[in-house]
Amino acid sequence: MAKSSEESPSRRTFMMVVIGLISTVIGIALAVPILGAVLNPLFRKRDIVWTKLGKISDLNLKPLTPKFVPVYFRVKEGWSVNTLPRQVVVVKQVNGDLLFFSNQCTHLGCPLHWIAARQKFLCPCHGGMFNATGQVVGGPPPRPLYQWVHKFGKDKDTVYIQNKFKDNPKDRGI
Amino acid sequence: MFKQIQNWFDERIGLTKVIEEFNGERIPRRGGWAYTLGSLLAFLFTVQVVTGIFLLFYYVPYFPIARNATYFLKHHVVFGNILLGIHLWGAFTMIFVILIHMARVYFSGAYKKPREMQWIAGMVLFSVVVVLGLTGYMLVGNENSWWTINVLTNVASHTPFIGGFIREIARGGTETSVLTMQHIFAVHVWLLPIVVIMFIPIHLFLIRKTGHQGMALEYKNSKISEDDEKRWLKPDGTVPFFPDQFYKDMIVSLVVFAVIYILAVYVGAPIGPMYRPLALNFAPEADWYFLANEEILKYFPGHGLIIFSTFLIPSIGFGILFLLPFIDRTKERSPFKRPAATVLGILFLLLLVYLTLIGGEPKAPATV
Repeated sequence: MAKSSEESPSRRTFMMVVIGLISTVIGIALAVPILGAVLNPLFRKRDIVWTKLGKISDLNLKPLTPKFVPVYFRVKEGWSVNTLPRQVVVVKQVNGDLLFFSNQCTHLGCPLHWIAARQKFLCPCHGGMFNATGQVVGGPPPRPLYQWVHKFGKDKDTVYIQNKFKDNPKDRGI
Repeated sequence: MFKQIQNWFDERIGLTKVIEEFNGERIPRRGGWAYTLGSLLAFLFTVQVVTGIFLLFYYVPYFPIARNATYFLKHHVVFGNILLGIHLWGAFTMIFVILIHMARVYFSGAYKKPREMQWIAGMVLFSVVVVLGLTGYMLVGNENSWWTINVLTNVASHTPFIGGFIREIARGGTETSVLTMQHIFAVHVWLLPIVVIMFIPIHLFLIRKTGHQGMALEYKNSKISEDDEKRWLKPDGTVPFFPDQFYKDMIVSLVVFAVIYILAVYVGAPIGPMYRPLALNFAPEADWYFLANEEILKYFPGHGLIIFSTFLIPSIGFGILFLLPFIDRTKERSPFKRPAATVLGILFLLLLVYLTLIGGEPKAPATV
């Protein structure tokens, strides 16, 4: 008969080591799939699609007057394909260049309001302010407005938008 | 008949003795009503679990549908408005009562040796309950829920080094999607309640293990000097937990439950509009217990300072609260004999109230 832990100190040490080892093995074996499930998003590639915004000539743009144009991205998210409705804020600059902004505040992502009387975008959450060219003019936002990745069609009039921001090193969601 | 059943159990497991041991705990006598807050919280948590389980009979954690499921529950299920209302107002009450409970413990110095671990267990419970509140707000699936998810995951993304990963893991991807809702659902319904269910017994066990450590007024007639730790072991008078203290607990629970019930029936749970990602005039609002934090977010402009409002101030503040028993190691208990701690506590509470009030001011961008 094997000695009890009370009779032999080395037997006690052995038992404790075995108990520790068994706990460690089971713990690691369980942790691996659980970590996999939790960290899974880090290993998934984002679904990037091109979506047609429309013709610029239809928008009747006036200089420095933003126009909010909805786009609908059909994007695979997890196990389903969903429509993500998003706003594209088209601004025509004085020199005729076009800017395609997101209406998300760059502070923490609230939806911006265009206040025509003040010629500013205002964030209703924490008071961030941007001018019509997307520069921060007040409040806490750390950077200018995000711009959508876009391209022009063959007719140089139709615009396509990608569900992705330019100059977005932290890969901020939209 | 009843006696026979009792005997049957007693012969096998000594049930009466166990119950007597649990109920017979002696509680300091003078502060009876102040000690009801803990039991009240246990009661409120039980109510949350029970109502929550039956809300799940109808709830669907899928973004556009979640709000409609909640709407159906409120307007088409018999007494569903009451069930939902109790869950909402119960949650609000719970957070409010936790704050009072914490303030009571703070001002009476009850976190001091040997009760440090209890304070920490309590802080774990507090943080988990606040996150339960926030995730519950997100699960309603209305417009505010959508923006709360976005804003809070963006706040988390400002954590140094791992912020981006935290946001991606929490959202289940780069964007708020069906997976985000599923994650929040699992956290709200399984993960965090289990943490609470584990930590309530720890909190209780520690209280019983460390014995009486009541408020200073329990020891007025004590002859042992104030510097001696033994002073805090012998209150002037004690009563058994059951029925003396339990009776007070029940009265307080009934009053608070009645208030919750009335609010549930007559105010109910506002569900709000469906989420419209294209809306141009929507101003998201946080729940009242997050407004102080929300207000801090408005300051600290620019790229370098944003980390103060999103990470440093909340985490340092929380860290100080967490480690309070190790920061304040004096033996003095009476709030009048440790004026620095008392004044700081009052100032902190005033600041919290002030930030909440200005954070809750209606924002009207059109008038800016």
